[in-house]
Amino acid sequence: MTEIRISGGAVHDPANDVDGDIRDVCLNDGKVVADVGPGARRIDARGMVVMPGGVDIHAHIAGPKVNAARKLTPDDRRDAVLDRTAILRSGTGGVVPSTFATGYRYSLLGYTTVVEAAAPPLAARHVLSELRDTPMIDKAFLILMGNNQVLFELIRESAHSSGTVSPQLRDAVAWWLDATGGYGVKLVNPGGVERWKQDNGNVHTLDDDVAGFDVTPRQVLEAIGGAVDELGLPHPVHVHANNLGIPGNADTTLDTMRTLSGRQAHFAHLQFHAYGGRPGGQPRSRAPELLDYLAAHPEVTADVGQVMFGPAVTMTADAAVSAVLRDLGADKWINHDTEVETGCGIVPYMYRAGNYVHALQWGIGLELFLLGKNPWQVMLSTDHPNGGSFLSYPKLIRLLMDRAFREDQLGRANQRAIQRTALLDGLDREYTLNEIAIITRAAPARRLGLRDKGHLAVGADADVTIYDDRTDREEMFATPRYVIKGGEVAVEEGQLRRPDDGLLLSSRAAFDPDVSRVLEPLFGDRYTVSFEHYPVRDPALREPAQIVEAGAR
Amino acid sequence: MADLGPVTCAGCGLLCDDVTIEVSSDGVRLEPECPLGTKWFSERMPAPTDAPAATIEGEPTDIESALARAAEMLRDAHRPLLDGFENATVEDARAAVALADRLGALVTTRSLTDSWPGAPAVPLRGASTATLGEIRDRSQVVVVWREDPETTHPRLLERLGFGKSSRSARTLAVIDDRDTATTARADLRLAWPRDRDLESLTGLHVLQSGRSLRPGNLSGELKDLMDRLSAVPHAALIFGPGLTGGAGGQRRALALHELVRALCHARHVVTLELLPAAGVRGIDDVLAWQSGYGGNVDFASGHPELLTATRPLDDVDVTLLVESGPAAAEIALASLPAGPDVEVWIRTAAAGVSAAGTVHRLDGVPLTLQAPQPDGTPTAATLLTRLLAEVGA
Repeated sequence: MTEIRISGGAVHDPANDVDGDIRDVCLNDGKVVADVGPGARRIDARGMVVMPGGVDIHAHIAGPKVNAARKLTPDDRRDAVLDRTAILRSGTGGVVPSTFATGYRYSLLGYTTVVEAAAPPLAARHVLSELRDTPMIDKAFLILMGNNQVLFELIRESAHSSGTVSPQLRDAVAWWLDATGGYGVKLVNPGGVERWKQDNGNVHTLDDDVAGFDVTPRQVLEAIGGAVDELGLPHPVHVHANNLGIPGNADTTLDTMRTLSGRQAHFAHLQFHAYGGRPGGQPRSRAPELLDYLAAHPEVTADVGQVMFGPAVTMTADAAVSAVLRDLGADKWINHDTEVETGCGIVPYMYRAGNYVHALQWGIGLELFLLGKNPWQVMLSTDHPNGGSFLSYPKLIRLLMDRAFREDQLGRANQRAIQRTALLDGLDREYTLNEIAIITRAAPARRLGLRDKGHLAVGADADVTIYDDRTDREEMFATPRYVIKGGEVAVEEGQLRRPDDGLLLSSRAAFDPDVSRVLEPLFGDRYTVSFEHYPVRDPALREPAQIVEAGAR
Repeated sequence: MADLGPVTCAGCGLLCDDVTIEVSSDGVRLEPECPLGTKWFSERMPAPTDAPAATIEGEPTDIESALARAAEMLRDAHRPLLDGFENATVEDARAAVALADRLGALVTTRSLTDSWPGAPAVPLRGASTATLGEIRDRSQVVVVWREDPETTHPRLLERLGFGKSSRSARTLAVIDDRDTATTARADLRLAWPRDRDLESLTGLHVLQSGRSLRPGNLSGELKDLMDRLSAVPHAALIFGPGLTGGAGGQRRALALHELVRALCHARHVVTLELLPAAGVRGIDDVLAWQSGYGGNVDFASGHPELLTATRPLDDVDVTLLVESGPAAAEIALASLPAGPDVEVWIRTAAAGVSAAGTVHRLDGVPLTLQAPQPDGTPTAATLLTRLLAEVGA
């Protein structure tokens, strides 16, 4: 292992209350250490900014929906090629890059950990295979559990018997993580996806009945959210609330937050759930109300899901949303139903600055960033590639750090929409480098329960990004000078120097193995894969992995 | 010998994972019965004890010598091609694409040496699809379009809930002008000829919009089918090369997906493409994630390029056949003996019998192939990785 001394840089390590202090950071054997010997490689970081490696808490980078999107968009990548080199694989870019290109480009942006936010458990082998081909970054995936028919059965029994989370349900959640190698639990439009797969239906309130199962979205939220909380998984339940994208959905979002009250919860792409107005009408912003709720409830966090003007590919387990986009005139549309568990919709999309709704979405995202009091609660994401590619993060950072640039961009967006946000109300906040470090690494790592990531104290993982301190923050964050992954220099002078496989991150919670006796008959005739063959046991897919134990949050 | 299983059968793209194998002096017997599965296991069980590990120009040799010769051929090749993948695992496919990337080779998953099966239509407009269980549990009408799954995927209808013992309340509609084992099971038989498929898809599209067709040869049949589809909240259409193969195949496939998209406004409709072999979906998926493209991909330019039209393969000078039945090739890595013209053949472990691996079912569901009779024979993935090391050295 290389010994490295990063010397004289301005260190931004907000998890340890370090805010631009000029100090050395020493690395050895893959970890941050107190000191290194005189023979250590010295990186002269004077005039540079040193941060922990970036952590993306919510992106879509691997699995069947991402891969279907690749197949759907060949024209998106013909002019975005990546040539093979002596050390790197070839690939293609575009909004949904190939796996190797995904890993390389995240690394070139200074990111060292990324979470795939929505994997069907039934497709775990596929997700794991893709992640094995996604280099340079450590990666984890969240498994979809909000529309699982087997869990519906347990939730119904639990709700009707005790009204609390039954041990069987808790064990079932832990079993599923064990069976798949997943890291955390994701709920997407609880109950609504099952209704979509039945006959294009949906649920609209948390108390709607999920036909055929006698459960409601509220019961699903309480049961799964409660189970994740009680298990003490490193990452709390990760919620894509009901009614995404629908005017007036802020009521549903607040109702969802209140339903999970008292439990740890992370809300995905909050921007898409922050709309006022009435269904079918024009949306308006209700971001301030959601931020007020967050301010009063530190147990709740969110990532923003910022929309960026330009191309995107919407992909979601919430397939009813994709059908809406299809009907808005999308050229291409994919729907895929996964038995027992979930759905999937994909629509390539273009966000236009002149479009009222798109500009409002863009503005609401910025409101969430700029009006929020606590950056530890509101993290950076574009819900890649739904709101735009992760490659647009540097531009988003500039929007947050550079008021003049932001105002210039505001002037280009649909003014009717922007006037319905708080962005024209003298909102002069500019993020500091420490706040950027919080929303792009420290807060996501902490929220994921990754104790050794997102900071630079002794014992932390030696994942470090070093930037030139440039006035143009977009340029600065687009082209780190150095990226160090696991203690080795991965990127130097904007070039990938060393291939790295990256680690799979999985979580583990204890459960009663007898839960299999409960689950097997419920699997019964529902799945077309036998219960015995469902769990992923192949070491080639599961190992090596870094296991994060439950209970340590 | 004790029964083995339940294991996953790689006899076709259905990858049934509930199969028990009984091997005796009378041969191999499967439970549940399946002629394709029985043939597949019979060809691979018991593992041959006297077969060579490798051959060069038909003469037995050791693996090291065969690998060295294969690496030399690939290094010297001007236009290498990797083809086959009928029985390849995802691990084999990942290693094969890695080798193709290093060589600057062409990878074909819809063999260009066969009749052109038609460019894929999905990238043009998308598709609505589902896993088998969704169709079984929700689709009240299932339309099989010019395929004979009773022969090509013998347990498909059973797995979609159309048991042989009793009539289902659901409707099985079969479009085919041939009399097949599948048409014999149809509740609704429609027998227009293949050259009228595009016309019929267009006609159905017109009918679903609420307009009428002018009376003609097919109008009654099309109305009958549309009435059945319109009467249910959930339906499925099953198709394959019978619709999409040959000249005009892409246009017919596109018409099918357009029809389904239109039908989806008022009901839930999904499609299922019948892929023939166990390895077909996996190589397509692996190519898509490693290169960004599904289908046939060319790495000759140093990066992936999608081949969307036929190209003469005259300039291919070395073909490496990965996990396929006998075919013309210079190098073959396969568990079964190669064809007579193959210069280098290396015997691989049969995934699903003597080696484990991951495979993707025709509906995309990933499954594990077990190794009920493991032996020390290397997998294709192992050999391809060694070839990569050799050609890169």
